[in-house]
Amino acid sequence: MSGTSPRAIRSVCIVGGGSAGWLTAGLIAARHGRDLAVTLVESVSRGTIGVGEGTWPTMRNTLRKIGLAETDFMRACHASFKQGAKFARWRTGAADDFYYHPLVLPEGFPDLDLAPYWNSAEQGSGNGGPSFSDAVCFQEYLCEQGLAPKLMTSPDYAGIANYAYHLDAVKLGELLAAHCTGKLGVNHIDDEIVGVSRRDDGDIAAVIGRDSGAIAADLFVDCTGFSSRLLGEALDVPFIDRSDVLFIDRALAVQLPVEEDSPIASHTISTAQKHGWIWDIGLPTRRGIGYVYSSRHAGADRAEEELAAYVGPGFAKLNPREIPIRSGHRAQFWKNNVVAVGLAAGFLEPLEASALVLIELSADYIATSMPATRQAMDFVARRFNSMTRYRWDRIIEFLKLHYVLSERSDTAFWRDNRDPATIPQDLQDQLELWRDTPPGEHDFASAHEMFPAASYQYVLYGMGFRTRPRAGQLAQRDMADDAFARTAAMKRKLGQMMPTNRALLDKLAQHRFPPL
Amino acid sequence: MKLAQLTRTDHADLRIDPARAAASAATVHLVPLVADEIRTVARQFPVFLAKDGETGAFYPAALMGLEPHENLFWNGSTIDADVLPLNLLRLPFFVGGEGAEAVICIDTESPAIDPAGPCPIVTAEGSESDYFRSVQAILGRLVQGQEPTRRLVDLMLEHKVVREFKLDLAFHDGSTSLLTGLYGIDEVALGRARDGIADFADLMIMAAMCLSQDHVGALVRRRNARLAAQADWFTPGA
Repeated sequence: MSGTSPRAIRSVCIVGGGSAGWLTAGLIAARHGRDLAVTLVESVSRGTIGVGEGTWPTMRNTLRKIGLAETDFMRACHASFKQGAKFARWRTGAADDFYYHPLVLPEGFPDLDLAPYWNSAEQGSGNGGPSFSDAVCFQEYLCEQGLAPKLMTSPDYAGIANYAYHLDAVKLGELLAAHCTGKLGVNHIDDEIVGVSRRDDGDIAAVIGRDSGAIAADLFVDCTGFSSRLLGEALDVPFIDRSDVLFIDRALAVQLPVEEDSPIASHTISTAQKHGWIWDIGLPTRRGIGYVYSSRHAGADRAEEELAAYVGPGFAKLNPREIPIRSGHRAQFWKNNVVAVGLAAGFLEPLEASALVLIELSADYIATSMPATRQAMDFVARRFNSMTRYRWDRIIEFLKLHYVLSERSDTAFWRDNRDPATIPQDLQDQLELWRDTPPGEHDFASAHEMFPAASYQYVLYGMGFRTRPRAGQLAQRDMADDAFARTAAMKRKLGQMMPTNRALLDKLAQHRFPPL
Repeated sequence: MKLAQLTRTDHADLRIDPARAAASAATVHLVPLVADEIRTVARQFPVFLAKDGETGAFYPAALMGLEPHENLFWNGSTIDADVLPLNLLRLPFFVGGEGAEAVICIDTESPAIDPAGPCPIVTAEGSESDYFRSVQAILGRLVQGQEPTRRLVDLMLEHKVVREFKLDLAFHDGSTSLLTGLYGIDEVALGRARDGIADFADLMIMAAMCLSQDHVGALVRRRNARLAAQADWFTPGA
């Protein structure tokens, strides 16, 4: 060790607001209280992208840590419940082609693996039996019936079935801003950043605000969105383009007002199109609908036609907003005393709602591993970089999995997606393995996995992939029969018991979820 | 149950047998309470918080059975207890509507309506009977007690003295039951929170609820007695 005295980390400056900036501010401030001065500087008039509308179940714990009540959060963000995703027309493109990726694990998983039993029954029935997601889990039934995952008596952030949220990301930023400044002591500066000043060792000493001058801090969090002003621009960390694997590079988004009393889907609907796919996210007040497509395969006019056909007659009155997407991420996420969170770190198509969850995981790591001194920071940064890079690679593979299994060959977009040159080698190797053994926990051994083995099962078998059943995997037949029966019984029970998604959300406008 | 607004035209001649009014509580295991009766009721019954299925809101209630639809204090003709909650004493009368619109209603199908009953609603002289005046006073306490009860529940939640209780019980005949959905005052948490609870009367209500949990044992004894009586019934020659 050198003889220099340790430089304590006493202040954090988050540059940029939005979901990324305010979630990071909230998690750091809630954990460190007044021990750490947290400042968030943003140019309020600049606005935010605000299209991240789907969360993971992790958001429940994140909001609880930040100190928000679920009722207040849901009202302020016009949030609704999300119980997974319905993938329509991904496999064959036919009108009745769909499967679910629910948020509840297959019954008995992982102690009992139903995949071999389902595959074996499928082989016997000539692929005419119930779908995998419907056979092994009750949640698809709740979604198809438009039912909610919890009751009015369910405590804050707890449910009968696992759930996440659909929300208005702009409102989420506003709610968190009010909570962070009002309750958690975060200092909020509205200013345009015009430059940075550097220390001799390459660290950023301060960001320079147009009006406020130098804003100094010991750690800077770059939440400046696609522009990545600190990590990308100031510290020259290169962007790694992943469009060789994931072709989507444009989004065309609209918001469709909905009638009062209209049903609200409690799942994201993702419908495959000729050159990409359309997201459909129901909130109590509106539906957010967007076509993400590959501009290498289709022009803007073709994309707008497909989106118009999906939305229907109401489309003419809407103003579609075009958002460029650059699939990829920075080569490093934490360099010197700058760490990037959100779009400044990278972006991928919103196929599995990975944007907000990566923000939560990154911000949570920064909050819990906050180094006490600058000397300790480089090690924390190295760990963060390898962990975060692992997560991006796993997400990219999992998103690609949705494309490589498709049987669609109606356009070059779908054919090109199956070109082996575009498929990561790890994914190709795993697919080979899964022909004879279903995805299991042994395949996903890292502490930083993003998607559990069950998620791979849902997508694989939903997309028509089959694992050849082997006798050794079918030794617990009675337990498997019981598990299939329990799933059927849960559907009957919850079908009677659960309110519709709309009914529960309407009630929540007048009543509060109990705190316990 | 069939509720009708109480009027002189329709109901002046009715006579009530109050002892039989509680028949409609024979299959009720939780009776809602208002704040100012909790200390009294807690002398006999365990007092917990339960959740309203419609609103998710907590309300205080006396526990009278160990499973839904069971009332272990119902002996076939009346509720056998030293103290009764206002919500049983007011039967067969109810309040319909809210605020200035509120009116007194009667359950016209109640077995308490009995031409030979001891209590008239209207006296021979045409004035309201003492019995009916006491019913009006009870209904008044229930209506006026709503807001203080909500305040008390909020206070308990604010001070985090409430925790979930799961009654996992075993009986003499070997049977077991698990009763969920009950929330009680946690003694340790109450000890921590006591300095923050400004009003001594509030603290005493919470303490009474906490101590009343011991009465669950009395409910278990009643269940065991019932099971023994049933077993005798089915034993030839007993």
